[in-house]
Formats: sequence, structure tokens, C-alpha cells
Amino acid sequence: MSSALFIHSLNNSRRSLVGWAIGCAVIGMGYASTYPDQKNNTDSMPAGVRESLNIDGSAAGYLQATVFGLILPLLAMIYGVTAGLRSTASDEESGEMDLTLAHPITRTKLVLHRFADAAVGALGISLVVWLALLAIRDSAELTSVTPVELLAQCLQLFLLAVTFAALAFGIGTALGSKVAVLVGSTVVGVIAYVANSLYAQFDAEWIKYLSPLYYYMGGEPLRYGFQWGHIAALVILSAVFLTVGTIRFNRRDVNS
Amino acid sequence: MTKAIELSELTKTYGTRRGLSGLSFQVEPGEIFGFLGPNGAGKTTTIRLLLDLIRPTSGSARVLGRDPLADGVEVRGRVGYLAGDFVCDGRQTVRGYLRFLAALRGGVPNERVDELAERLGLDQTLKIKKLSKGNKQKVGLVQALMHKPELLILDEPTSGLDPLVQQTFLDLITEAAADGQSVFMSSHIMSEVEAVADRVAIIRDGSLVALDKVTNLRSDAVRDIEVTFESPVPSDAFANMPGADGLRLDSEGTSLTGQFSGRPDVLVKAIAHHTVTGLHVSKPALDDLFHSYYEGAEEAPRPAPVHDA
Repeated sequence: MSSALFIHSLNNSRRSLVGWAIGCAVIGMGYASTYPDQKNNTDSMPAGVRESLNIDGSAAGYLQATVFGLILPLLAMIYGVTAGLRSTASDEESGEMDLTLAHPITRTKLVLHRFADAAVGALGISLVVWLALLAIRDSAELTSVTPVELLAQCLQLFLLAVTFAALAFGIGTALGSKVAVLVGSTVVGVIAYVANSLYAQFDAEWIKYLSPLYYYMGGEPLRYGFQWGHIAALVILSAVFLTVGTIRFNRRDVNS
Repeated sequence: MTKAIELSELTKTYGTRRGLSGLSFQVEPGEIFGFLGPNGAGKTTTIRLLLDLIRPTSGSARVLGRDPLADGVEVRGRVGYLAGDFVCDGRQTVRGYLRFLAALRGGVPNERVDELAERLGLDQTLKIKKLSKGNKQKVGLVQALMHKPELLILDEPTSGLDPLVQQTFLDLITEAAADGQSVFMSSHIMSEVEAVADRVAIIRDGSLVALDKVTNLRSDAVRDIEVTFESPVPSDAFANMPGADGLRLDSEGTSLTGQFSGRPDVLVKAIAHHTVTGLHVSKPALDDLFHSYYEGAEEAPRPAPVHDA
């Protein structure tokens, strides 16, 4: 019994997971491999423009501004939300959750096993991205970033996906509505982005500490390696989302 | 002996809408209990309360002597459940899916699953996603029956099944009851339930309107009657007899015809005061009785009447 639930949902998401991993790896490699060309372009940019775009000539700066600054975190957030959506609210709205919960398992166990499945998926995707970037590290002239620093950044990517999966699980288990999950996650995603990138314009640096995206990239793992405080922040945030959702889920009616 | 199901003043409100109001009855161990009512009467609400999928607003339910919330894992381990609209999905085969559900229950012998699938004519190599409604329903029946639960809770179990498979299903639950398993089965069709059920409860708008043995219900059911008398009887001779509202004495006073509802004993004793020359009584139609409880209720279904019931 203990692993059946976990294995079953992992089995059902196997194909989409392979798609996600390949997609993220190819996109990551695609962007990263243009570094040699882009380096020459940025070299010719005025310093002010470079600074405002948060780009310097280094490989780490380039990866932060493109691969890990934009497209991959966006994909990680979307992965997290869709995994959470599928595991909770979709299942409940279709009526399938009734069947699962008519078995001798607790609701908490159901949530934790499904969440573990989403997290393992995120881990797989992040590892594949890491391996893909290692594969082109030499040819794309990214050797100034060490494999460990790349790994540190991929770990943050994994945790970002986990955080948004936890958010989707939290809303989905608390409210049981697909619309609520989509709207809630999108709102949090947009606020996170705004808070992390535009705080300077509000003249309030503290705002960035509210954003999961700050804990994802703010410590610049590509330059400084593992950011333990930020790792802890994302783990705690995920735990809070998941705990609140599970408590509410245990107390409410399952929708029919 | 512990009751299979014990409801006392079970009430469930959804906002201002009332799902169930003060429902009380008991299901004895080893009996087949029919739970009848039109769509929206509260059958599924009751069943979901028993499984702790929803929580009562007030009142309580005990299943196999246990509290569905506090002892949920134990209760659900001892119960087999089939939902009204059994939903399953996945790329797995029927066999793989049933193995998964069996694993959630801590394992079920494969031979048991194979035997049930074979009896219901379910091909276990098919993909779950591609199953027809009837075949999905068979998967639902197999998963509900496979671990030989002490109590079967079945919500509209025969919907989507063809008549042959329906018969197999009725055989299966009759066998289950013979083995001491209790069966709680909802339906909106009387004829489906009366063939196998020991007792029947009828609910309407979330309240119990009738609860009795099928044999007693039958004795109270509506019959078409025709009585002729040797000599005219007074025009008010049967005016005070209970259940005689549908009867009419002709102008000569020698022929009484129409519909009689209630125990035949009442009728026999009333007409015995006069010399009866002719008597015709039809078999009771439980469907008519069932419908008499629904008059005024919306969505009361009207299947073709079954007169040999």
C-alpha cells in the first residue's frame, strides 16, 4: 500500500514528464549555446544598457539574464502549477478523488504521495537541465561557471517548481477548484515577478523578500554556489502552502 | 449484534439548500437494503456521508459500528464502494488499474479479481481510457466486490449495464449476502431493488417517507380490484374504509371497482359483510406505490410500469 499511490500517479504522469524534461533541456541548451555570439554583442553595448538589463559580459551573467532568468523559471512555475492542478483540483472535479478516498487511506497521505510525485518530477527535470548544460559547457564557452555552480542554480530551479507545485496543491486541496488554482497561482506568479524585478522603482528593497523568485535567483548561485538561506526559504514556503492546504482539506467536504 | 449502518437524525445542509434532514434508519448485518428515491432526493449525499467524503451538519452515522470520520481508514478498509458515476482514468489496462486499487487495500488475490472479471465479462487487457460506460461500471463492480468487504455500499450499481450483466450483478450480491456480507444499494428504480432486497427505504427531499420489508410494502401497494355483490349494498358502505379513495360503487350498488391501496385484510373484512359473487384483485405494482410517494416531487422518474411485480 505504502508506495502504490505514489507509483500510480508517477506512472500516469510519466509521458508528460519526459516531454517536460526534454523541452526544458533543449530550450536551456538552445539559449546557452548562443552565449559566444551574444558575448560579442553585449561587449558592444553601452554600459548603462547592460546594467539596466542586468547583463555583464560573463557567462554567469548571461545565463542569469536569459536561461535561468526568464524562460526556465517560467517553465518551472508552469510545471509546478500543472502538476498540482492535475493531482488535486482536476481529480476532485472529475470525481476520481471520490474513488481514491473511498479506500483505506487518509487524505493527508493522498496529498503527500501526490506531492512527492510532483516533486520527483521537478527533480528529474532539473537534473536533466543540469546534464544538458554540462554537455554544452565547453562548446558554449561557459567554463567560467563550474559544474557545482550550475548544479546550485538547477537546485534553485527545482525548488522554484516545488514551491509553485506546493502553492497549487495548497489552493487545490483547500478549495477544490481548478479555476481557483489557476487564478491564484497566476496572481502569485505575477506578484512574485513584479516584486522581484521592479522593487527598485518602488524604492522599497524589502518588497523583494516577499517574492519566491528572489529566493530562486537573488543569491546568484551561478557565481556564489549554494545559497542555503534561500534554499531554506523556499522549502519553508512550500511546507507552509502544503500544510495549510492539507489542514483545510482534512476539514472540508470533498466536492462532487 | 453491530448494525451494518446506523443513521440517527443525519442532517446535511448545503448553504441554504437542504440535502438531508433528520434521516434515521438502520441496516442489519447480512441484509440487502434497497435505498430508493428520485434523482436529487439525497441518496448520494447519504452514501458520501457514510464514506466520510462529506461531513454531516448534525446527527450521526455509524458504519459497522464505527465513526466514518474518526475511524475512517478502518471503516473504508471494511467497505466496498461503487460510485453512482464511477469515474476512472489512465493509460493502464484494466488489470493494471485493478491491481493498483487492490494495492491501496493492501492486496487482493489475483484469482479473485480474475473470477469477478470473468463472470461480468470484463476484458482485463483493455485500456481504462477506452472503456465504454458499461465496461467502466464493471470495473467499478469488480473493485467494490474484490476484497469481500463486510459491507457493500453501491450507488446506482446497475446503471449502464445490459440486462444480462444486471442479472449477473444481482446474483453476485445475493451470493455476497448469503456469505454474510451486508449490502446497501441505492436506486431510482423499484423493480431493480425489489427482486433482491430484504428491506427498502424510500427517501424524498432528504427525508425518509417509507421503510419496510419488501413483502410488507407489497401488501400495502395499490391493486386494481373489482367486486360484485349479489344484492345492492348501501352507497356509503365503504366510505370509511381506509385506502378506498380510488374505489367507486356503481349506481345499482352491486359493483365496486377501482384502485385500492393498503392491506388486503381491510378490504376482505369490509366486503365480507355482504354476499360477494365476483372478486378480482390484480397483483400489486410496487412501482405505483413508489410513485405515490413522489407525487409533487420534482424529477420523479416514470419508467414503464412493471405489472408482474
